Amino acid sequence: MAAAQQLDQARPRARPQTERRMKRRELWLALAFIVPGIALAVLFKLVPLIRGFHLSLLETQGFEEPSFAGLENYRTMLDDPVFIGSFRNAAVAFATLPIWVLLPLVLAVLIFQRSPGWKFFRATFFLPYMIAPIVVGIMFRQILAPDGPLNALLRAVGLAPLAIAWLNGPNSALLSLTAVALWSFFGLGVLTYLSGLATISEDIIEAARLDGAGFWSLLLRIVMPLLKPVIGYWTVLCTSGILIWMFPLIYALTKGGPGNATTLPEYLVFTTTFQFMNRGLGAAIGMALFVFVAIVSAFVVRRMYAEGKAS
Amino acid sequence: MNSSSSRKGGIGRHLAATAFSLLGAAALVAPLAPAAHAADVTTIKVLNWEPGGAEYWKQLVAAFEKANPDVKVELETVPFDRYPEVQGPYIATKSGPDVMENNAGLELYDRRSAYAELPADVLEAGKELITYSGGCLNFDTSKSCYGLPFGYQGNVMYYNKKVLAEAGLDPANPPKTWDEMDAACAKIKAIGKTCLALGLSGIFPAYWDFPEVARNYLTEDDMRAMLTGDMPWTDPKMINILKGLASITQKGWANASAPSITMLPDGADLFQSGNAAFAGTIISDAVNWAAFDKALGAENVGAMRWPTLVADAPLAGSFSGIESSVFGVSSWSDKKDAAFRFVKFMAGPENAELLTKVAGGISLYKNVDPSALPKSPALSQILEIIKKPTLHAGVILSGQEADALARGWQEVTLGQLSIEDWTARMQKALEQSPSKRKK
Repeated sequence: MAAAQQLDQARPRARPQTERRMKRRELWLALAFIVPGIALAVLFKLVPLIRGFHLSLLETQGFEEPSFAGLENYRTMLDDPVFIGSFRNAAVAFATLPIWVLLPLVLAVLIFQRSPGWKFFRATFFLPYMIAPIVVGIMFRQILAPDGPLNALLRAVGLAPLAIAWLNGPNSALLSLTAVALWSFFGLGVLTYLSGLATISEDIIEAARLDGAGFWSLLLRIVMPLLKPVIGYWTVLCTSGILIWMFPLIYALTKGGPGNATTLPEYLVFTTTFQFMNRGLGAAIGMALFVFVAIVSAFVVRRMYAEGKAS
Repeated sequence: MNSSSSRKGGIGRHLAATAFSLLGAAALVAPLAPAAHAADVTTIKVLNWEPGGAEYWKQLVAAFEKANPDVKVELETVPFDRYPEVQGPYIATKSGPDVMENNAGLELYDRRSAYAELPADVLEAGKELITYSGGCLNFDTSKSCYGLPFGYQGNVMYYNKKVLAEAGLDPANPPKTWDEMDAACAKIKAIGKTCLALGLSGIFPAYWDFPEVARNYLTEDDMRAMLTGDMPWTDPKMINILKGLASITQKGWANASAPSITMLPDGADLFQSGNAAFAGTIISDAVNWAAFDKALGAENVGAMRWPTLVADAPLAGSFSGIESSVFGVSSWSDKKDAAFRFVKFMAGPENAELLTKVAGGISLYKNVDPSALPKSPALSQILEIIKKPTLHAGVILSGQEADALARGWQEVTLGQLSIEDWTARMQKALEQSPSKRKK
């Protein structure tokens, strides 16, 4: 009886102790999961970013000893028409984003609804993504030459006025570069959208069809609303693809020319840093690019997050 | 009994201990034997753009390793037009190859902190060469030297005799002046061929085209002033050079794709395919007489000086010559002894013979047997042309100037830039050049 009383008295004291122990264990477990991630992020993202910013404050022309230059590199950068031009080029390339987002979606839906030859196209569309961008660049330098196969084809089918020197004009060169990048990248989009489409119940599609929905109606009213998170994800990928993954294509296709017509900021960072050996100015341009991409991506990710929350 | 058993036990333990010791020793020695051998061999990494071609380099490395069995050479070969972008990160991080290649002149001087100064015994090897000043500061062998050359390099214009004949021109008398060239181009275009194969992307316009027009307006003193940043691009002589370059494309001599292609390989391919009459390239290493002889047939290939713009200019009839690329040892290398031996070998007689026989190059080594040279009409013409050398104006352009020159020429060709604006850009590039800017 006395023992039972003692046990009863002990119980309320034991529970908080156990809870505290469990909470502590949970805390340690949580830390064990979080700390490696944070450490990696700090080590490989934050530290290089801080080092990059520090470098952007140094004067490092050629092989001379670096010296502190304050914001001089940023002033030089903003005074340089090539820098301004590179961001203008990036903006033009970025304006093609809707095509990057919608084209693979349309193709994915066509494959998803088993259009004739869907198996062939599913494999074919993904093929360009498997070719190294540097090879794609070299390939298209030949294809887009004034006397290359594309113009030969255009002339053969009676479209001679369209057979222009694609890589010579400032606008045509930039658009050609963007189109080649899209050709190289869109297969991944088709695959991404197909994964998303696989999660949509066939009953919904079937019901829409029975209600008389055509292709565009199905795409705009059923598929797109249901695929909003996937579209958001793909949009972020395309944004970074356009702004910071074009380098190998520029390198192999145009080298930023003619003039600076296809020089995007990432290419300018590279030439400034490694060709002209001006690491400080290169870092400053890199920081500007980082801010630009961060703002654009933050906008897209925020939209994605809001859509996800709403759904 | 006890003692006996203990002795047996002792013998057994002794035997066991001996056996284990032997096994242990064997286990230790077995991997150590080849390791000890491997430790005697020093592997050096050589960054290069394979001047002279793959076969020449294969034989060069084999010959060096045979002469130096304790050194193994590992090549990192990068295409010429992408070389600065690969070398840049190595220099920026002070790590990577033990031996590096660079063009002689300003390109090397700009990077001199990445090179170890040549020691006296290596410099001795340089004295066996016709010249090695392009590896030394300001082309002066009394100053610090950072690399040794191995071949002679410079610009000539090649022509396809078959195309000239097809166009009704005399292959034995190719154009000598700008006006004659203009007239020849009109005839060549009339038969549907390109007159001058040209690529304006990358560093080729600076190295292969600029010096040939510059010789019409500059003296050697002017070129030295360029080297030290004392010749502004606003000087009328410099503006005339830009005008001369612009006239090549504005007169329609070149292929329409010129603004968006590189001379190597695209422009050279155009000439090698037989679709162009002329191509301005180099005498050694790549896209030279040997390559064109092979592609077009030696009987169809000719070599000449670029046509002159100003016939009585002091250097108009000269050859823009320079030691070809130089090889030096990286300042961060911890295998300097082996690396310097490679540099010395590059400049030596054995490599001179290989360069001539295998790569069809023109060696700088003084005592090469002329009978070792292959029979080629174009080579014979080149050997005459190089007898009157002058400084090479291309290798004294900074990276910034070379880049601005190519991009500006592209835009001028496409009618997007005036000569005045091109001049202003060149001047800005000069002011941003680390070795030339005035503080």
